[in-house]
Amino acid sequence: MSKITIDEVKRIAALSRIAITEAEASAMAVELGGIVEFVEQLQKVDTTGVEPTSQVTGLEDVWRPDVIRAKADNISQLDLLRNAPQQQDGYVKVRRVMQ
Amino acid sequence: MIDVTRPIAELARAVQSGELTARQLVEACLAAIETKSSYHAVLELNAAALGQADAVDTRIVAGESVGVLAGVPFIAKDNFLTLGGHTTAASHILKPFEAPYQSTAIAKLEAAGAIMVAKANMDAFGHGSSTENSDFGPTKNPVDPTMVPGGSSGGPAAAVALGLCSFAVATDTGGSIRQPASFSGVVGLKPTYGLVSRYGVVAMASSTDTIGPLTRSVADAALVLDVMSGQDPADATTIERQAEPYTTTWRSGKAKIGLIKEYLGEGIDPEVKAATLAAVARFRAAGLDVEEVSLPSLDLALACYYIIVPAEISSNLSRYDGIKYGYSAPEAKTLAETYDLTRSQGFGAEAKRRILIGTYVLSSGYYDAYYKKAQAVRTLLIQDFTKAFETYGVLIGPTSPITAFPLGQKAHDPLAMYLADLCTVAVSLVGAPAISIPSGHTKAGLPIGLQLIAAQQDERRLLAAADAAEALLQDRVVA
Amino acid sequence: MRDYELVVGIETHVQLSTKTKLFCGCDNDAREAAPNTKICPVCLGLPGALPVLNAEAVRLALRAGLALNAEATLVKKTKFDRKNYFYPDLPSGYQITQFDQPIVGLGHVDVPMGDTPFRVGITRAHMEADAGKLTHPEGADYSLVDYNRASTPLLEIVSEPDITSAAQAKAYATELHNLMRYAGVSDANLYYGNMRFDVNVSVRKVGAKALGTRTETKNLNSFKAIEKTVDYEYARQVEVLEGGGTIVQETRGWDDTKQITYSQRTKEDAMDYRYFPEPDLPPIVINQHMVDAAMGEIEYLPQDIRQAAAAADLPPREVEVLIAEPTLAALWYQINIENPKQSKFAFNWLIGDQIKLAESRGQTIAESDISSLTIGMVGSLVAEGKLSSTNAKVLLAHLWDKDGGAMAVAEKLGLLQQSDAGAIEAIVDGVIAAHLEPVTQYRAGEIKVMGFLVGQVMKASKGQANPGLAGEVLKRKLEVSDE
Ligand SMILES: [Mg+2]
Ligand SMILES: [Zn+2]
Repeated sequence: MSKITIDEVKRIAALSRIAITEAEASAMAVELGGIVEFVEQLQKVDTTGVEPTSQVTGLEDVWRPDVIRAKADNISQLDLLRNAPQQQDGYVKVRRVMQ
Repeated sequence: MIDVTRPIAELARAVQSGELTARQLVEACLAAIETKSSYHAVLELNAAALGQADAVDTRIVAGESVGVLAGVPFIAKDNFLTLGGHTTAASHILKPFEAPYQSTAIAKLEAAGAIMVAKANMDAFGHGSSTENSDFGPTKNPVDPTMVPGGSSGGPAAAVALGLCSFAVATDTGGSIRQPASFSGVVGLKPTYGLVSRYGVVAMASSTDTIGPLTRSVADAALVLDVMSGQDPADATTIERQAEPYTTTWRSGKAKIGLIKEYLGEGIDPEVKAATLAAVARFRAAGLDVEEVSLPSLDLALACYYIIVPAEISSNLSRYDGIKYGYSAPEAKTLAETYDLTRSQGFGAEAKRRILIGTYVLSSGYYDAYYKKAQAVRTLLIQDFTKAFETYGVLIGPTSPITAFPLGQKAHDPLAMYLADLCTVAVSLVGAPAISIPSGHTKAGLPIGLQLIAAQQDERRLLAAADAAEALLQDRVVA
Repeated sequence: MRDYELVVGIETHVQLSTKTKLFCGCDNDAREAAPNTKICPVCLGLPGALPVLNAEAVRLALRAGLALNAEATLVKKTKFDRKNYFYPDLPSGYQITQFDQPIVGLGHVDVPMGDTPFRVGITRAHMEADAGKLTHPEGADYSLVDYNRASTPLLEIVSEPDITSAAQAKAYATELHNLMRYAGVSDANLYYGNMRFDVNVSVRKVGAKALGTRTETKNLNSFKAIEKTVDYEYARQVEVLEGGGTIVQETRGWDDTKQITYSQRTKEDAMDYRYFPEPDLPPIVINQHMVDAAMGEIEYLPQDIRQAAAAADLPPREVEVLIAEPTLAALWYQINIENPKQSKFAFNWLIGDQIKLAESRGQTIAESDISSLTIGMVGSLVAEGKLSSTNAKVLLAHLWDKDGGAMAVAEKLGLLQQSDAGAIEAIVDGVIAAHLEPVTQYRAGEIKVMGFLVGQVMKASKGQANPGLAGEVLKRKLEVSDE
């Protein structure tokens, strides 16, 4: 019995916006189940009173002044949008968003 | 015959004195890339390289001042955003992407006169330890082309080993510089987290991504670090560099060396262990004080890593959605299909695996059990290292528990692949600097790497120690 | 309907009035800009781009915290988190927001509402980046994305469910709108969507302890829409419950044309946002010094105006009209300090004639030439009887265009009235001599001719005589001669 069910794979694939077939889902359930089983060894560790770490620099209060960036760093609209798969009149174009 | 494998400082001096031209160096690299193309270390040439070389040469002829890396040719891993070509991170989903801006690290190297000749292959988005996860085909080991070069920076490591460039720059998130350096027989330096700006580098795991050089010597690595490091207003996680240049000349007196016990236990290849112990014997013979030290949390590092890193990956890779740039599934008829098909077709198996694992550990009901737990274990790891550095100036151990393995051998066994990073991930989670230097060979002639680790921002000590170790191991490394 | 009581909580997104966006140096004001012209690698979510926090956003959020009476919660460590979801207006696939350590904690807003003021608890307020803007061209099978607004700094203010009527909901939103502008947190321009309200409504049987299932109507941008939404949702939910149905927890929208709310998304497809700490941004540690600095940046808040107005005996309802216009309130507040005796005069003019004047000039008073001191001076002239209230309006209109000093301009234009008894006496003597007929009539007891005689004095003085004084002098002279 895998740590992750096929339904769970489908749920996280949907959250991740990755289409998967039924066959992929069952293969993934086994693979991901193996990885989850491996990382589960952490459950045994007593971490009572241990603060979680999400950054290691110790930096605090890093911010910038409220100054509009110089024209020199301004990358043109053309350059920024050149990679867009679809565009129209300066807009990025997407398949209709349901309202 | 132009030799790009000479020490960087020497090459730069030769260019500045007129003994060599930047054009000659770039041409030599382009020729080598062509000759060694079967290794598939390179994804794309920099079309502007010769022009940039000529510009350097013109300045030198005109007597203008040039940077410390004037004319020195390098190769960048394909996850650095560079102008005038593609930046794909070796992924299908970014295949069409042409970066409209340049990474800080590359900008600094170019400002110092270095010339990027090509972009190197890698495991797509940095996910892997063999470069077999490149969506454009694997790179071959420079010593034995039937073997993997390590990863994810297999392309840059092979490029340096094959003499396709003077040095390479790459990223290390859990070992991606050090492990391929070890597999390919070159030097790989992962600096302190935050010492080199991540701005303009395709993110893998933001809290452990670092940028560093792959070189032929510790001295070369120090020189490249010196050029690339420093606070960047565009990266809020960068730290101030030290005022003095990063060199190998710093001498600490008599700091003790700690040999990490956990890295010599189960799962370590006997030949790797033997090479590590042989190195220790050399150091002791040279009068260095080496003691065994235990960091008990290290056994948890890989599990901790494979929670935190996929979590960050799952978020960082959300931007690849077929809307603003990159691949977009042409047959998508609805917005939902744009997302689902683009990401399904655009990501390779390993990227998907990590996105799914990351999504799982962050999802409602699992966050505390996995992600938050892993963050607490990360704290334990930091505590272990902090304690060890109270006694030891430098910690050592093997870079990888194994040496290069045959292409295809682990390609379908993700867990076996993850184990190749057993000895490198902890340092990444802690944010400390580490370097892999060649320490010998297997009987089959495959390179073995020795890892040296120092406390955060203690690069000068690390580089000096690695330089000394490099000298002591010189004869073991020559094949 | 009486059997059900209403429970309302409001989440408000306030756009912080910084010059640049929250995490990049792009211009924060893209109101008139062409699409996708105020963008950069960061706000477009390009690979490798990293956010860098705008210090000004933190300052403004602290000011908001003070305005929300949350001072005690500000000194602490706060951080950013990622909220992960896919939408075409969200360039990086996650929103940078604050999850479990918001910059502002518990506070409250005291809301004036005629004779029934009330207090609304503030749960929290956090900084976050706005998304881009989507448009859906009529009939097209595509939508268009403009990322100019992406990464614009927002403060999301979450209220406790303390609101119990549509009128209260409207009054709370109005006061929040006042507070954000007085604290200099936001331009709070509703037309440009600088403040957007998500209204949570539930109903429960009177006396019931447990809250009913709530609906959230999102993205309202007018006080009227808030009031109507609450009314509509109350009626709808009561009807559903009375009909034996159950309320579905869902997101709804407000259709301003049809004046109804409509279902957008139910809880079934509610997202799992997978929040986690933003690794690209170091935490923020707020110290007392920063809070003190923010305190120093707030000159006064609406309640300070209310207090001063009450002391000046101004009518509370009209005072709210003044408060709704911060520039007018600022002027009044200034005049009230400089010329406290003229505060009533200034108040009446500011919320009366001044509005017409501004309209006719097509200017705001801030754009006019007039100053608080000048308005106070004009008031003093009226009080001293040197200027009629009619002429005061004429004078202020001139000063609006060019403030050459109240007295000087009044003199130049001949708007001052004669209050010098000697000068008036001479004019009165002339009038009596020239109009013997009405004088005789007056002396014969026809007192009504007095109006005619005063008019003649005014005429002879070219309108400069103080009519009251003219009447007094006339009366005295006519009665004296009678003896
Ligand atoms: Mg929000
Ligand atoms: Zn921007």
